[in-house]
Amino acid sequence: MAPPPRSPPLPADAVALCQESFGLACDSLEGPEVPREKLLDLAWALKEDLDFVYFVYCTSTHFPADPGKDLPDRTLVAYRVRRMPNRSGRPTASFPFRVWVPTGEATPSLCDVWLGADWQEREQYDLVGTLFEDHPDLRRIMMPEDWPGHPLRRDYAIDTSHFPWR
Amino acid sequence: MTPSASHAPAPAGVTTVEFGGVQVPVHLTQAPWPDPHFDVEQYDPEADLVVLNMGPQHPSTHGVLRVKMYLDGEICVKAVPYLGYLHRGVEKLCEKLSYVQITPIIDKNDYVSPMMNELAINMAFEALIGVEPPPRSQFIRTICAEIQRVASHLLWVGTWGLDMGGAIGGGATIFMHTFREREMILDLFEELTGCRFHYNTHCVGGNRHDLPAGWDKKVAAVLDHIHSRSFEYEDFLTDNPIFLARVKGVGFIDPTLMLELGVSGPLLRASGVDFDLRRDAPYMAYDKIDLNVPVETGGDCLARFRVRVAELRESIRVARLLLEGVPEGPICALKSITSPSAVKVTDGSTAYACIESPRGELGTYVTANTERKLGPHPYRCKIRPPSLHCLALLPYLAPGQNISDIIVILGSLDPIMGEVDR
Repeated sequence: MAPPPRSPPLPADAVALCQESFGLACDSLEGPEVPREKLLDLAWALKEDLDFVYFVYCTSTHFPADPGKDLPDRTLVAYRVRRMPNRSGRPTASFPFRVWVPTGEATPSLCDVWLGADWQEREQYDLVGTLFEDHPDLRRIMMPEDWPGHPLRRDYAIDTSHFPWR
Repeated sequence: MTPSASHAPAPAGVTTVEFGGVQVPVHLTQAPWPDPHFDVEQYDPEADLVVLNMGPQHPSTHGVLRVKMYLDGEICVKAVPYLGYLHRGVEKLCEKLSYVQITPIIDKNDYVSPMMNELAINMAFEALIGVEPPPRSQFIRTICAEIQRVASHLLWVGTWGLDMGGAIGGGATIFMHTFREREMILDLFEELTGCRFHYNTHCVGGNRHDLPAGWDKKVAAVLDHIHSRSFEYEDFLTDNPIFLARVKGVGFIDPTLMLELGVSGPLLRASGVDFDLRRDAPYMAYDKIDLNVPVETGGDCLARFRVRVAELRESIRVARLLLEGVPEGPICALKSITSPSAVKVTDGSTAYACIESPRGELGTYVTANTERKLGPHPYRCKIRPPSLHCLALLPYLAPGQNISDIIVILGSLDPIMGEVDR
């Protein structure tokens, strides 16, 4: 028996949009890797043309530098958006896309496209330290305002005490 | 049992407008919405604004939420929620624990419906390692989820009644009634799992506990009892003019705003959008039943109450139906379910799985470790909590509302702070 898929299947029209209009490869269930300069255009196209109006999540994952493989310190920001089912028989579908962001640089904020990105991006900034360009209110959301560092980074020292918390 | 119900037609007399390919009731669309980043300095200089802190220990905040409100008289001008008072670093903990050890931690996220948390995260882990739970386990999981939904909605009705205080029969009356019924469900889960609250009964690949003998009869009796009582509760509240004055026509929510914010679940269905992951993207045993999804077009607090009560009855029907058809067989697809090293994925791949929790789409995005030396832990585990998105509605809903209505509206959103802050 074939194992179940790791993520929901990608909708065909969104894959076609990525390949034809943006020249992005969509060969895995994790979605295309989008260059930062194309991110906002793709987001608007997904929302306006293909009805992906529902924002599911924004998450970022920190990968430390790997000198052996010549990889810099970087963050993978993954998004997923969803289309609602309707009475004409269109099923619901969700579409993921990803952006690589080198540490210290910013990626465009998607707040203007989907309002749901506001708190999600604040959370990723707070916990992983990802910077979002043109975010209206980029401040900490979970941790105290004066907390040092970003706890979900792989190089965050979890064994040391943090003044004034221990 | 026949699979999959279809979408109901629009009720007569409701004019709809298209947004994102779905028809939404036109009377609820109210764009442009208030700006949550509005600068209060720009407000009328003649007005004498008062800053009021609601929380972090206010009883109606359902957890530890602080809302900083700028008030002009009794009318809210701007509301700024401050989260994080319950932040426990669950996602960081997931990076340090093995897949098998995570389930009991995740139980504490949405502490009103722990079964849902376990189900969502274990579905993501199963997707990651490519395992499907056996049919019996799928049925047990679905039954547990539906009974848990009943308990969760019962708790919501009770605490929402508390929020409105003396207005409805001394405040605590409905709370005491629904809590009594919820206790019955906790007793059922105690018999199944040994725990009343944090069950740890789902595991990667299936379930830990098989159904005890005679459990199905007890469940049927309890569900029958709650079903008959649910009509009493509905009459108890909707025949009460004071309750109606507090909730009817209060807190209209724009469905287009909710879609953009990522709000799903009963809130979205109370504003006329027919979306339920159990029917539209079936998981576990939901593809074997014909689910009726209650939808209201009122969009106010009363509509949200009606949707939740209808959902409670539908869950009771579904749980009863599934109890009759539980197949025989193993309850777990993996042999060594308690060993921390039972799950080994080290190729850096990711998986996403989502379920319909009582509050909306509860998802888990998990990335496996990239190297063997890092051990059998997730590299990154992101929980997508529905409550966080529900609570994000508050800065849009509060401006222009009377402060007493804000309490009712916040209660009707049903945010669980353990899940919001994680």
